[in-house]
Amino acid sequence: MLSTAEIRALLPHRFPMLLIDAVTDLVPGRSLTAVTAISANEPWYAGLPDDLTGPQLAYPEALLVESWCQAAGVLATVDAPNPDVLTGRVMLFGGISDVVFHRAVLPGDVLHHRVRLQRSVGGTLVFDGRSVLGDAVVMTVGRITMALRPAGELRSGPRHAVAGAIR
Amino acid sequence: MPTVCSPVTSALTVEEVTGAGAVTTVAVAPDDPLFAGHFPGFPIFPGVCLVECAHRSALATAPGGGHLELEAIESVRFLEPTFPGDRLTVDLRWSSTYPALTCRAEISSAGGVVAKIRLRYSAGEE
Repeated sequence: MLSTAEIRALLPHRFPMLLIDAVTDLVPGRSLTAVTAISANEPWYAGLPDDLTGPQLAYPEALLVESWCQAAGVLATVDAPNPDVLTGRVMLFGGISDVVFHRAVLPGDVLHHRVRLQRSVGGTLVFDGRSVLGDAVVMTVGRITMALRPAGELRSGPRHAVAGAIR
Repeated sequence: MPTVCSPVTSALTVEEVTGAGAVTTVAVAPDDPLFAGHFPGFPIFPGVCLVECAHRSALATAPGGGHLELEAIESVRFLEPTFPGDRLTVDLRWSSTYPALTCRAEISSAGGVVAKIRLRYSAGEE
């Protein structure tokens, strides 16, 4: 079990972009489950009109993906923690395949992200899995690819150096 | 109906709409609150926010009207990172295999193509 303090020691993400609350079922190098509680008190709920319907208040799909990817980030780095993107490594998105949204997510929902490390080759990691709300599958992830790259390469080098690493 | 909640607060401008596609632009606002946490001391526009820019552009310019529901992110390739202040151009092309509607989006910044995205929609309920 990883608490929010332990997650913050692994990931550079902070409010309002730290989107997982706890980790359970961790099998290092293989899989984990991350828990996130969706709240109406997140910034994307600020300043909205008063007359919105339920579906119009659903949690943004992009953030469901981001939350799941942060769970993958924990799995990728739990054996080598470095939350300082200024000096260490940063996780960069390579690509996404076949993420399917099965139902809307609303404030009050507690999601469990199930993440599996499919394979790891030379700093490039491939994950798959799903997000569930109780017994209901909310989102399925066919494949998400990430690369761990030195932060210095991202900050000072030409942009195509990063692109080359991602490709 | 699609959610109106979005992590992207930057303004989206519709530049052109044709029968087969559209072009929009997004100026990535340097003071977007999300940068405080992504990441402290090193702001970088989240990759999922590029997907969100494509999605919002699709909703704003979809042919035929009606409500679209995002069914799937079929594929994304991230080619370049993007940063506060970048001006993004979103080039959309539509195709359909009934009952799904597919949107292919190519997002570019001043430095070139930053992401290629394919989204699948279904017609939602009124």
